[in-house]
Amino acid sequence: MTDIALQTRGLGVKYGTFHALAEVDLQIRRNSVHSIIGPNGAGKTTLFHALTGRVRASSGRIELDGRDITDTSDDDRVRLGIARSFQVTSLFPNLVLRENLRLAAQGRTPWQALAPWRRAESNAEALAIADEVIQRLELGPVVNRLAGELSHGQQRRLEVGMAMAARPRVILLDEPTSGMGIDDIEAMKQLIRDLGRDHTVLFIEHNMGIVMNISDVVTVMRLGRKLVEGTPAQVRDDPEVQRAYLGNMITGDIA
Amino acid sequence: MNPLDKPWAQLALALLTVLILPLFLKSGILATEILIFAMVVAACNLLLGYTGLLSFGQGIFFGIGTYAAGICLTRWSVPVPLVLAGAAVLGAATATLVGWLSIRRQGVYFVMLTLAFSQLFYFIAYTFSGLTGGDNGLLGVPRPSIGGTALDAPWSYYTYVAVCFVAVFALLVMVTQSTFGRTLLAIRENEGRAAAIGFPTRLFKIEAFAISGAVTAFGGALHAMLIGVAPLSNIEYHTSELILIMTIIGGSSSLFGSVLGAGFYLLLADALSTVWPRWLLLLGLVLVTVALFLQRGLWGLVERGYDLAFRRERAPETPAEEH
Ligand SMILES: Nc1ncnc2c1ncn2[C@@H]1O[C@H](COP(=O)(O)OP(=O)(O)OP(=O)(O)O)[C@@H](O)[C@H]1O
Ligand SMILES: [Mg+2]
Repeated sequence: MTDIALQTRGLGVKYGTFHALAEVDLQIRRNSVHSIIGPNGAGKTTLFHALTGRVRASSGRIELDGRDITDTSDDDRVRLGIARSFQVTSLFPNLVLRENLRLAAQGRTPWQALAPWRRAESNAEALAIADEVIQRLELGPVVNRLAGELSHGQQRRLEVGMAMAARPRVILLDEPTSGMGIDDIEAMKQLIRDLGRDHTVLFIEHNMGIVMNISDVVTVMRLGRKLVEGTPAQVRDDPEVQRAYLGNMITGDIA
Repeated sequence: MNPLDKPWAQLALALLTVLILPLFLKSGILATEILIFAMVVAACNLLLGYTGLLSFGQGIFFGIGTYAAGICLTRWSVPVPLVLAGAAVLGAATATLVGWLSIRRQGVYFVMLTLAFSQLFYFIAYTFSGLTGGDNGLLGVPRPSIGGTALDAPWSYYTYVAVCFVAVFALLVMVTQSTFGRTLLAIRENEGRAAAIGFPTRLFKIEAFAISGAVTAFGGALHAMLIGVAPLSNIEYHTSELILIMTIIGGSSSLFGSVLGAGFYLLLADALSTVWPRWLLLLGLVLVTVALFLQRGLWGLVERGYDLAFRRERAPETPAEEH
């Protein structure tokens, strides 16, 4: 196996006639934490949509472990090992937390769920995975609450949990800390760092503190294109990057 | 979760209905019709309540079941159990086709497609009058017989239908409790997320259609044997509408709600039509009332009543129990 888990070549996405993404070449190293930053509207979320198959690439190709997945459907990509969280929380609000995670764990083997006589509880593995994620995210006290009734911080953690429950090899997190309190942010930072040990983590983040702290590689995007890529230190000192952020200082310590 | 929504409670209520109807109704025909529509409406609920699909095509499957029974029983006298099974298979196949094509669009366009199919199948039935009897329908559809005796008396046919109803209802409860049923709920809640965690959501919707179509056609076949005719009106758009209305009146959050919806509608129609020839007007008013004040339907009313009677201090929606 190569060292590259996920790779794109000349990836482009069009919304109508608008090029939201153009000529993006990415190489995501296995078991690394790779972050994507860039100003609003840079195309970061669109990149995730393309990688997970939610939107079709209008040009270029995507390879997972060297295998072309450009035309693979979104649900098939989950089975190949790609899972994601959303920037705008996307849960099953009227189902309880544990059921949300059980479904996410079941999604890896959806054909089983087509049998209308099989009980959900018969999939012990999915339940075990759900419970493991609950523990890891410290959501134990609220497992039987409706997802829609959880606090914002809990919902954001569950959002990340939904991606973890699919047991992916590549995990895509879209602004996992958005709107979180300071304690939650610290916990999320630890979690992402941990995930990076045995997963390939690709994550979008506006909080430069976290990005500079835990990333192995940082890609900066602007206007749908890749602007700069490098280690946190290289990116932070790049004059182009400074300009792209229009004076918004990039701060944060490098671990 | 309200204890009445638990699967065993639902099943017990269905059994109770079967036992209670003969005590309160004089007409065995009406009681049988209630049970037939109860299962058909519950099948519609699988789509509307569990999958979030508002299908105007249920009349197609009902009509197909009706014609299957009509044709097989008047021309070839096929054994009734075989006819019922055949109707279910045919209904499932038709629903798979209709579902497969309709779910390519979402929202209003999905509803429009099911409506269009409903018209299409009506005209097919109308046109091929050699097979369907056209306007007149197929006359002289016999009732089933058991051990050589025909179940011609209304209440003996009621017993036959009651057994079918309980079996079908139990099957539907099983479907909604299964991992399949729970995935349908997830798709209804947030289809984008369901796809993002790996579920091929279209396939699940098509299967929901197939199951719904099978049960609806099964009910259609029973209905033809009940009234002794396979009429064109069973495949009309009006039948689709009727099934939907009953589903909404009953409430789409539980299967037994559908039994209530069917019972309420048919009993009300029966009572009003003897009082006043323009009874459909009153029915319209009832519908307006439900839409305005009872958005969870009759079942929502039952749940509230239960809470008031048995759970004094209304716990603020405690989904504490597991399902
Ligand atoms: N469905 C859509 N249809 C048309 N244009 C879209 C659509 N989604 C996004 N866009 C546009 O594509 C561009 C990139 O959007 P995208 O959401 O990928 O940006 P982003 O980098 O994630 O921004 P943010 O930091 O605000 O989340 C934006 O100009 C946006 O307006
Ligand atoms: Mg974004």
